[in-house]
Amino acid sequence: MGDILTLVGKRLGLGLIILLVISLIIFFMVELLPGDIAQAVLGQSATPENLAALRREMGLDQPAIVRYLEWLGQAVTLDFGSSIVTDARVTEIIGERFMNTLFLAAYAAVIAVPVSIILGVIVALLRNSIFDRVANVVSLSFISSPEFFLGYILILYFAVKWGMFPAIASLSEGMSFLDLLERTFLPALTLVLVVMAHMMRMTRAAIINLLASPYIEMARLKGAPPWRVIVKHALPNAWAPIINVVALNLAYLITGVVLVEVVFVYPGIGQALVDAVSKRDFPVVQACCLIFAATFILLNLAADVGAILTNPRLRHPK
Amino acid sequence: MGLKKTDVLLKIRDLKIQGYSDETWVDIIKGVDLTLHRGEVMGLIGESGAGKSTIGAAAMGYARDGTRIVEGSSIEFDGIELTTSSEAEKRALRGSRIAYVAQSAAASFNPAHKLIDQHTEAPVQYRIKKRLEAQEDAIELYERLRLPNPGEIGFRYPHQVSGGQLQRAMTAMAMSCRPDLIIFDEPTTALDVTTQIEVLAAIRDIVDQFNTAAIYITHDLAVVAQMADTIKVLLKGEEVEEAPTDQMLENPQEDYTKSLWAVRSFTSPQKHRPTDGTPPLISVKNVDASYSNGPKILDDVSFDIYEGMTVAVVGESGSGKSTTARVITGLLPPSKGEVLFKGEPFPASYKDRSKDQLRQCQMIYQMADTALNPKVQISEIIGRPAQFYSGLKGTALKTRVDELLDLIELEPSKYYNRYPPELSGGQKQRIGIARALAAEPTFIVCDEVTSALDQLVAEGILRLLDRLQNELNLAYMFITHDLATVRSIADEVVVMQNGQVVEQGPKDDMFTPPHHPYTDLLLSSVPEMDPNWLTTLLEERGVDNIGDAASAKIDPDDDKVEGTQV
Amino acid sequence: MVFVILYFALLLLLSCGAAYYNQRSAFLLLFSLTLVSLILAIIGGIPALRFVAIAAGLLLGAGMMSYAFREFLTALASDEMAKELRTAPLTAAFGMFVIFVVAIMGIFAPAIAPHGEAEIISQAFAPPDNNMLLGADQLGRDMFSRIIYGARNTVALALCGTVLAFILGAMAGLLAATKGGFFDGTMGRIADVIMSIPSLIFALLMLSIFGGSLAAPSTSFWLLFGFAVVVGALFLMAAAYSALSWVVGAAIVAGVAFAFALAGTSLFDASEIILILVVAIIYSPRVFRLTRAVAGNVVVMDYIEAAKLRGEKNWYLIRREILPNSTAPLVAEFGLEFCFVFLLIAGLSFLGLGIQPPTADWGSVVRENATLISFGEITPLIPAASIALLTVAVNFVVDWMLHRSSGLKE
Repeated sequence: MGDILTLVGKRLGLGLIILLVISLIIFFMVELLPGDIAQAVLGQSATPENLAALRREMGLDQPAIVRYLEWLGQAVTLDFGSSIVTDARVTEIIGERFMNTLFLAAYAAVIAVPVSIILGVIVALLRNSIFDRVANVVSLSFISSPEFFLGYILILYFAVKWGMFPAIASLSEGMSFLDLLERTFLPALTLVLVVMAHMMRMTRAAIINLLASPYIEMARLKGAPPWRVIVKHALPNAWAPIINVVALNLAYLITGVVLVEVVFVYPGIGQALVDAVSKRDFPVVQACCLIFAATFILLNLAADVGAILTNPRLRHPK
Repeated sequence: MGLKKTDVLLKIRDLKIQGYSDETWVDIIKGVDLTLHRGEVMGLIGESGAGKSTIGAAAMGYARDGTRIVEGSSIEFDGIELTTSSEAEKRALRGSRIAYVAQSAAASFNPAHKLIDQHTEAPVQYRIKKRLEAQEDAIELYERLRLPNPGEIGFRYPHQVSGGQLQRAMTAMAMSCRPDLIIFDEPTTALDVTTQIEVLAAIRDIVDQFNTAAIYITHDLAVVAQMADTIKVLLKGEEVEEAPTDQMLENPQEDYTKSLWAVRSFTSPQKHRPTDGTPPLISVKNVDASYSNGPKILDDVSFDIYEGMTVAVVGESGSGKSTTARVITGLLPPSKGEVLFKGEPFPASYKDRSKDQLRQCQMIYQMADTALNPKVQISEIIGRPAQFYSGLKGTALKTRVDELLDLIELEPSKYYNRYPPELSGGQKQRIGIARALAAEPTFIVCDEVTSALDQLVAEGILRLLDRLQNELNLAYMFITHDLATVRSIADEVVVMQNGQVVEQGPKDDMFTPPHHPYTDLLLSSVPEMDPNWLTTLLEERGVDNIGDAASAKIDPDDDKVEGTQV
Repeated sequence: MVFVILYFALLLLLSCGAAYYNQRSAFLLLFSLTLVSLILAIIGGIPALRFVAIAAGLLLGAGMMSYAFREFLTALASDEMAKELRTAPLTAAFGMFVIFVVAIMGIFAPAIAPHGEAEIISQAFAPPDNNMLLGADQLGRDMFSRIIYGARNTVALALCGTVLAFILGAMAGLLAATKGGFFDGTMGRIADVIMSIPSLIFALLMLSIFGGSLAAPSTSFWLLFGFAVVVGALFLMAAAYSALSWVVGAAIVAGVAFAFALAGTSLFDASEIILILVVAIIYSPRVFRLTRAVAGNVVVMDYIEAAKLRGEKNWYLIRREILPNSTAPLVAEFGLEFCFVFLLIAGLSFLGLGIQPPTADWGSVVRENATLISFGEITPLIPAASIALLTVAVNFVVDWMLHRSSGLKE
């Protein structure tokens, strides 16, 4: 058991270090800005006095490393300072939106994960049949479509032509949960379509890889029926690849969510990020980036830890 | 053993199997017949690509992915026609009446389950035994197969058990339902000679005890001679001939079989060290080595190689013989000790050696496939060292390449512009030799150069190497695990075990007793063509004095162990 | 009604024919289509059936086109190429056909497009007429012309980004595999870090700082120069072996990088250069990892050891021994990488952060005209569909190449 704990501990430590390096990148990239933040805020019309005053106010007269440590210290307590465009607290701007985004991603994941894993296993079992080929072409097409293409097609048919679901996923106070599910159905479906195609292909590849192992052939030659080969012999070894597939695709959801939120005008953190980027509202951009990166790293970490925990060689050391 | 004339168990008629490659179906098995009686052990032998393994799987009515049994073939097992029976009917036979032992036990046991759970799977599924009964039976089988700790070993996971033991556990698993027929698919190919012998003895005993029929697939003649009642020789998907073992060994009918049987006839006359006090060409002095702070792979290794002589370094996998070669070539700088070249120290890393030092010491590899860049023409493979070291260009370079191709007995005009994948294994190995010669070296490391080749081809390579040695006064360090090769080409022998030199000396001394116990074990474990070899050996040494058990018993205080340094 | 009868008659006839001639998979496909059509007819009525018929017709047309295009290519190509091409499945042929069409569209855009890229010729959202095939966009520019120009701009940028990402990533990967040790480890860690930031998010971060309408030409020049110097340094590390060659090499690298940056800034405007660099930096770690893995498999081969023992320098090892044995997977990876870059650029443009107006580009055309969708118009979806089509096409070709290079393994 000790081996596993050290391995998991090492992996966690590595994740933490990477997160730290990323916070460095996110902070110091803004420092690379031609001129500095104050100049970016004030634009061409800035007078030297204005600039100096703003710099003092923003603490820009202190060395970068001090400001970084301050920023990091506050970020750990979920305080990202205030917006330089609206002066509102960053936490207020993105707090609720982050929950909305999580909800959308979870909605999509709840549908996509089980369906695509089951489909992936089925396609793997039917490999090289006509269904496999059709599934291959269809899933490749979905992967190749930009999220906004799928989103607008769904809007065109489900909202505009058939009027089944609303085109705009606006949220209001006191909506019932069912209403919420209906309102957000189209954005969730868009995400599902993209992620499902990815996940199905990866599951298929992982299972086929596994079915080629000599011990699966051995199980067949011992007369085990097909269901038993899958359940008893393939599945216990398939957890690691499957966990990996799920985590990778949940991470992919995070990126996809930005475009989908913009298409459906969904009040999530992705839209806030896009707005902040076009307005050059750096504190918001930094906060959003850090949150996205942290989620991404967390998911990858979960996948690696899952793979370590399900590896029989590590669970039963020599 | 003798042939048991009883009723027919397995009857294969006109078996044709096709494999899918390059978008078409190609015949792999081209109409093979096979008749196996109850309790009979049949050896299927042939070179790689002969289709032995495919026939073995077909005997269970099983076609691997990408292969299919052609209509019109007939596989009749105990009156049941397998080619026409349903998948469920065939499945009901597998594991219960026909069992399978795979080549790599380490890969064929499911890493997620304990050995004994995998063992009891079939008997429990077929309701032959209850789970606990099946476990007791498993422990009894482990005992019969002489596995250490039979009561406990089954409760381990596959990765916790060594290769030779896994292979025996797999044989036990095949026996779990007391099948009528077991297919052994190269069960000892991946094992070392000293381990192989235990597995062979165990398999033979258990098959005998339960009077199980077996198909034993292997490429090793000496092994099959020990195991089989009848031998069937295959070549490229067709049968060459079949006969009872004794008859087949004494009096093969077909030319192909005779060529396989021909015991290595080539022997190079043994040379002796010069007595005039010239320093050895290569001298390995008290070398220790390890890979990046890992455990010590080499421990105080010393030996000398004199000009124009062949030193064979013998040992099993993990003995450190290839690591020694890496130290000499400079790929792995030693952690202690040094390598001398004509009495002068060689820089430890190849990166610090001068062009002239690099050219002195060349290497020929085991796998000609990975030793030659598949995307480079033969002319450049051979020409590059000549160009690199001697600065040859244009016509001079072409002449030199032609000269080298002549030297290795390949027609220059035919091979000049070809690529390695277009050549046969033996031809590739010759190109490898030519590349080494192109540098005009004085010393060549030959790392298992013949072990991947079929026997006849291997002998051609040995003859070529010997001729080149005499013409060019080359010194060879010949790494091998094959004692027959040592007998034919070596002048001196170095025996290694666990990173240490256990014994060294001139060949004639080394092959005459008394031996160091390890050398003795190694020499005695190599199967011979005599069908009674295993029986005799077991009688002489006793079943508990072979393989790992015997290695463990080697007494470090033995006289011969003390006096290993020459 | 006649349509419905004809529809089912044809399907049944075909499936019976397939069954009779023992075409099992064709029969399964046709008959399941018949069954699905029955259900569709009940739910969706005739329009649904018509939709299926049109889709089937389109598929058939695409299939025939691909078949003809493959035959056309085999007829033109040399013997060896023709042999390779004959193994291409129809999907790959379709992919090559689409790539071919887009290339023609991009290269001859000014000749094909009836109007200028930024030319305002009518009212906003004017409907299609004789002059404008697809109507006007939100500013009254010809939509069709903008889509044609969009092909040129989007693909050109994506191609440049991919090439840069590839040069940087592949060079670093080859070098890491050859050198090993510390260099390998450091490069691996850097790639790890960059890859732990989601690509779109990282792109947004960088664009918020350097990009968009505020991008200054001098910034983009120096960034381009810096990028070229980094790549040059990698080449130097591979090729230089003595102090003198370092000095000479450094001078050459500086010169070439300067010329490269100069050429870059004259070809593209500042925001485009930033965009290219951003995608190059984001995707080069992916290329690095793959190249490192592919080259890593080659480096362990005995022929590399033989060359090292001969005393060959890194540059020779990379050029003559490793590269020729890694081309097949690298070419396939180039295609895949292009898809990612292309989708990212399209996504960024869609968000209004990529290619800046008035330059036409497939992503921004969708965004600018998205309002039309709520009126049931499909015109804004045409550029979106083109993005999907080109990406699918490249993926089909890559699929085939991967299949070939893996030696027909699963």
